[in-house]
Amino acid sequence: MILEYFKLAVNNITHRKVRSWLTIIGIIIGIASIIALISLSLGLQNSIAEQFESFGSDKILVSAATFQGPGSLSIGLTEKDVETVKKIQEFKVVAPFIAKPGSVEYKGESKFPIIFGGQPKESAELFADTRTLEKGRYLKEGDHYDAILGSRAAKKLFKKEIRINNKIKINGKEFKVVGIFEEVGNQQDDSAISIPLDTFKEIFKSGDQIDFISAQVKPGSNIPEVQKKLERLLKDKRGDENFNVVTPTQILEQISQVLGIVQAVLVGIAAISLVVGGIGIMNSMYTSVLERTRDIGVMKAIGAKDSDILKIFLIESGLMGFVGGIFGVVLGTLLSLGIGQYATEAGFKLLVTINPQLMLFGLFFAFIAGIISGVLPAYRASQLNPVEALRHE
Amino acid sequence: MQKVIQLQNVKKSYNLDNVIVNALNGISFEVNKGELVAIMGPSGSGKSTAMQIIGSLDLPTEGRVFIEDVDITKLSHSNIAQLRGKKVGFIFQTFNLIPSLTALENVTLPMLFQDLNKTKQKQKAKELLALVGLQDRMDHLPPELSGGQRQRVAIARALANDPEIILADEPTGNLDSKTGGEIINLLLELNKKGTTVLIVTHDQNIAKRAKRIITIRDGLIAK
Ligand SMILES: Nc1ncnc2c1ncn2[C@@H]1O[C@H](COP(=O)(O)OP(=O)(O)OP(=O)(O)O)[C@@H](O)[C@H]1O
Ligand SMILES: [Mg+2]
Repeated sequence: MILEYFKLAVNNITHRKVRSWLTIIGIIIGIASIIALISLSLGLQNSIAEQFESFGSDKILVSAATFQGPGSLSIGLTEKDVETVKKIQEFKVVAPFIAKPGSVEYKGESKFPIIFGGQPKESAELFADTRTLEKGRYLKEGDHYDAILGSRAAKKLFKKEIRINNKIKINGKEFKVVGIFEEVGNQQDDSAISIPLDTFKEIFKSGDQIDFISAQVKPGSNIPEVQKKLERLLKDKRGDENFNVVTPTQILEQISQVLGIVQAVLVGIAAISLVVGGIGIMNSMYTSVLERTRDIGVMKAIGAKDSDILKIFLIESGLMGFVGGIFGVVLGTLLSLGIGQYATEAGFKLLVTINPQLMLFGLFFAFIAGIISGVLPAYRASQLNPVEALRHE
Repeated sequence: MQKVIQLQNVKKSYNLDNVIVNALNGISFEVNKGELVAIMGPSGSGKSTAMQIIGSLDLPTEGRVFIEDVDITKLSHSNIAQLRGKKVGFIFQTFNLIPSLTALENVTLPMLFQDLNKTKQKQKAKELLALVGLQDRMDHLPPELSGGQRQRVAIARALANDPEIILADEPTGNLDSKTGGEIINLLLELNKKGTTVLIVTHDQNIAKRAKRIITIRDGLIAK
């Protein structure tokens, strides 16, 4: 019997093609935006998690309290702090870094990527298990005017690709390219150029300033404890609290939190568009009930119960929601895959994947939205007085 | 003789914007199984109202209505609908087919609401359409049919659940006299097979063919 009602509902929908489609489009937009936004933010989460993995979960990052990321003006950390960090026995490697945008020249072209200065031996150890090289070698003790390029810095920054052993000029000084990193997926790191710390100090005249210290703990150490110990020691030695000691896990948590809020806001916006789509269905259903008042009277005259009428109209609105859901899910998925592709090509690795659970959820959600929007009009239809309905012109 | 319809002092008033319109002022009559009754009377006298109440489409304001000894004024909403679908076949002046459904689907619809076996439904609907001479119009939509053909579909639909009673409210009102005559012949044939038929009509010639005429005037039965 439900199957027959289903046929009746399909009949009603297809007999008002244009209006039905306009109604369904409302749901399509709502569901597509929800699906797209959720898969994009899931992708963003994936990408960020992956990048932090590449940073390594056994590392602690010390930066000046004002440190906002490479390239920003930061004051506070110096070589003295590096010595302090080295006092902690649980660290296997302590690698200070400094970063500034520098002028880089290659074959007559000039660009301003971020230049990282790091101690060759320590940074090589630090990178050993997280940043692999595509070609060449890490910096080593004794290197001076030698550089490792991020994959983007080598391949995309300049019109002509830079290869191993090519010469580039940084702040007017000639450097030899000894290595090229594999792509990590974020534009900033992939566009950066790493050179020895001493050389950096020389060409940037940065004195004993340090931007951040990355320290790797020995296997089996309790990272939060080491973190506390380091904080106490730094506070002691410096006499201020003008520094941050963070672990990757902490950063990841913070970013996830922010991302969660952004996600909630975006999904909220998408939900609003779905509600608007639902109101569209409701409106269309009210019109449909009005248009078919006489038919409802006829159906009651030939034995339809109130509940039969209710079912027919609910199936109709649920069906419109469902059809909108199918198209919305497909559209939303394509949209997010497209954006992910575009972002990845533009240098920000965004891992958008097809998520069957999310798609099912979208379908179900659209169906429920359709049913809910149909409840009031369908109830109204079911309660029509047959005599009055039959008199309706 | 078995009574199929009993009306006991039935009154019906409508409330139109706080103006009370008395459509029926207390009518009582009985119809036996297999009777053919013509209902006549001037426009606005309450004929359609009486038909709607007999067919349980509407409830009386006062009085009692029995269909085969069941007091329909005491039934629940859904039981009334069930009884109406099973026992009564309506035929309207304006045909009242569902325009988006084919002739066959229109005839199947009453059986659908009675939850009958599906394959039987279709078979039965085809037989009924053949009975009214529309076997080659089954897949047509009502707008593609002539008035007479539409009324035939409506008759086939009214017969779908083998009703005890056919209630025809001016079934020929929208048809020319020849087509109208054919429709009346069809109804008379059904009556011969044992179905109780009530026809509202303004046409003396049609009324004459019924063995019994009830005349309603100002909501009362005229003697
Ligand atoms: N739903 C309604 N609301 C208000 N008044 C109504 C309603 N239905 C019928 N009436 C009134 O009740 C009275 C009887 O109407 P009814 O339709 O039964 O007349 P009728 O005998 O069928 O007339 P006709 O021959 O013109 O079809 C009329 O005065 C009509 O205006
Ligand atoms: Mg009338």
